[in-house]
Parts: sequence; C-alpha cells; structure tokens
Amino acid sequence: MAIELYRVDDRLIHGQVVIGWGHPLALRFIVLVDDNVAGSDWERELYRMGTPPEVDLYFETTESAVARMPEFAARPDPGLLLTADVATMSRLCDGCTAIREVNIGGLHHRAGRSPCLPYVFLSAEDEVALKSIAARGVRVIAQDLPASDPVELGDLLTKDGA
Amino acid sequence: MLARLLTLQGSYNYETMIGNGLAFAMEPALRLLPGGRNGAAYRDAIARQSRYFNAHPYLAAVAVGALARAELSLEDPARIERFRTASCGPLGSVGDRLVWAAWLPACSATALAAFGLGLSWQAVVLLFLLVYNAGHVALRVWGLYAGWTHGLAVASALGAPLFRQGPSVLTRALAGIAGAAIPLMVARAAGTRPLGVAIIVAVGAAGGLALVQLEGRVAGWRAAIWVLTAFITAGVLVR
Repeated sequence: MAIELYRVDDRLIHGQVVIGWGHPLALRFIVLVDDNVAGSDWERELYRMGTPPEVDLYFETTESAVARMPEFAARPDPGLLLTADVATMSRLCDGCTAIREVNIGGLHHRAGRSPCLPYVFLSAEDEVALKSIAARGVRVIAQDLPASDPVELGDLLTKDGA
Repeated sequence: MLARLLTLQGSYNYETMIGNGLAFAMEPALRLLPGGRNGAAYRDAIARQSRYFNAHPYLAAVAVGALARAELSLEDPARIERFRTASCGPLGSVGDRLVWAAWLPACSATALAAFGLGLSWQAVVLLFLLVYNAGHVALRVWGLYAGWTHGLAVASALGAPLFRQGPSVLTRALAGIAGAAIPLMVARAAGTRPLGVAIIVAVGAAGGLALVQLEGRVAGWRAAIWVLTAFITAGVLVR
C-alpha cells in the first residue's frame, strides 16, 4: 500500500488529516517531514498527542525522509506523508522520484501570501516551487478533503481571492 | 476568560480563522502585563495573539490558557509563536475525533433513543441540548484549566485517557446506542403497522448502504440532505 497521499498542510496533523483522509484511506502510519519538528521534543510530543493511538507516527527531517522512503514504500499498510510547506515537499520530490502526485491541503494566511482558495494562500516562492514540482511530471492538486473537487495547479494559480 | 471562550468563533474568517477570537478570550489576562492596557507589552501580545490560529473551538481553550500563562510569564515571543503554530493541528485533531466524530453523534443517538422510548419532542430537544452542552462546557473548563496549569508544556495533558482512548470508546458506545435507538424510533414513527415499519427499515437500510459506499466521496451536508429527504418521503408514504 505504501504512501497513499503526499500532502502539504501547514497545520500538519489535524482533523482533516486523521479523520477526513484517515478514515477513507484506513491510514496506519503518518510520516511527518519537518526539520524543526524533528529536532524539538515538545513539538514531537504535541503532534503525537494529536495522532490516534492506532496510527504510527514517524518524525523525519527532509534528508532522513528521502533515505527511509524505500522502507515506507515497502510497508503493507496505507500511509500519508505530510510537510508544512511547499519548499520541503519540493526537496522531497528532488530526492524521491516515486512521488507522482502532491496534494495542497492547507496553506493559510501569512504576510506575503495571496489567497487562491479559502484554504490555499501562496507566496511568489511557493508558486515557483509548485511549478518546479509540476515540471518533474508530478501532478499537483489542491484538495482539502476527499469529497472536495480537486483543483489542478494551472487553475489554482489563476484563481484570485478566497 | 471562560465566558469569552463562548465567543471564539464570532470573528471567524479565512485569513485569521479564530485568531481574533483567541486574542479576545485571553485579553482579560493580558491586562496584567507590565504597563497594563496602555503598555507596549499588552499591545504586542494582542497583536501576536490575533494572528492566524485554527483549532477545534472547544479544545482551543487549552491554547488560550497556555498562551495567556506564557504571555504573563514574559516567554520569548518566538517560542510563543512556535507554540501557536504547533498547537493548531493537534488541538484540532483531538477535538475533531472526540467531539465531532464521537460526542456529537453519541448525543444525537441518545436523543433518538429517547424519542423512541416515548419522550415528547420538546423533552428530546431539551435532553440533547443538556447532555451535549454539559460535555461541551466541561471540555472548555478543563481546557482552560489544563492550559493555564501546564503552560507551554500542555502536551502531557492531552495524553489523558479521555483523549487517547475516549474517541474509540465513545464510538463503540455510539454504535450500541444507535442500534437500540433505530428500531425504537422506527417503531414509534410507524406506529405498530408492520408495513410501515418495513418501509422505513427498507429505506433506512438502503440509505445506510449508500452512505457506506459514498464515504469520503461526498460532503457530509449533501449526504445529510439526501437522508433527510428519504426520511421525509418515507414518513409521508407511511402516514
């Protein structure tokens, strides 16, 4: 089954992930890729508390995630990989050609970001990074929940306003 | 602060989500900062806490308590910002699993069972509101207390059995309550006529099967409208 969903979401582990995607995908493991979280005891503890007990949670840096990707791919149960920003997902795509689709699940308002969808605000750097991911042949879509309509990258970048 | 927690979603918007509500809820505590309401520390804290924040509205009480304590302890603003960012997801996850996916449906099933047992509709509504809000308010009170007590080290409080095992226990209880409630409710809605019971059971079974097939592929509100339409149609046919 391996990793069923590669998702960019600045809230990382939250209800949409563990219930919205977790139930339909029958998730059994989550790989959280974030260099800051991987090096912070209290943040790891916080995210662990937000994860259902039956789901395994792995904290990885970008580098260690790339190295362990074959191990995750060999797991017999379904999993999900999360990054908090586009730049980290772009670096993962550089190091792992097995990624065929990237889901933009939530990038919220911050200074320098413009609204594309109610749950997607992008900076100029984000747009460049997303285009470079797509240039590798990876499908990039915005979709917060399984029941929502996916928005292709081309359409996402032409949208203006929340 | 506890009363203000009830207004947390009053200024909900796509940019800051419940950030403004979070700042409003902890504002009484921030008045105790050096310089009071006219001080720079107060203004900086209000500005910091009004930024984007999104979590489950009941469990956000944990963040309000923890952040208020951190501000009054004059914690490093970078650490406070990091906690705000890191707590959004876990507080959302815990709250969604415990409340939206377990407590709310369990209370709804309990109300349906009460209807099936013969309570008047007014009593059923009152029972639902009392039971649901008892849990809801208790969660906010606990959250504020836990956040204030533990400060930025509040993660350990979220490891309580209520949050780790509570959702699965409640979900199992929900299945039991719903199993008892549905036949009782059908029997009351259809009277004692076997044909009426059979029609409602058939519509309910077909609807249940359709919902299982559609899980994850249709938004909840659309499914709810279909179920409601089927229920009203069946009710009209039976009557």
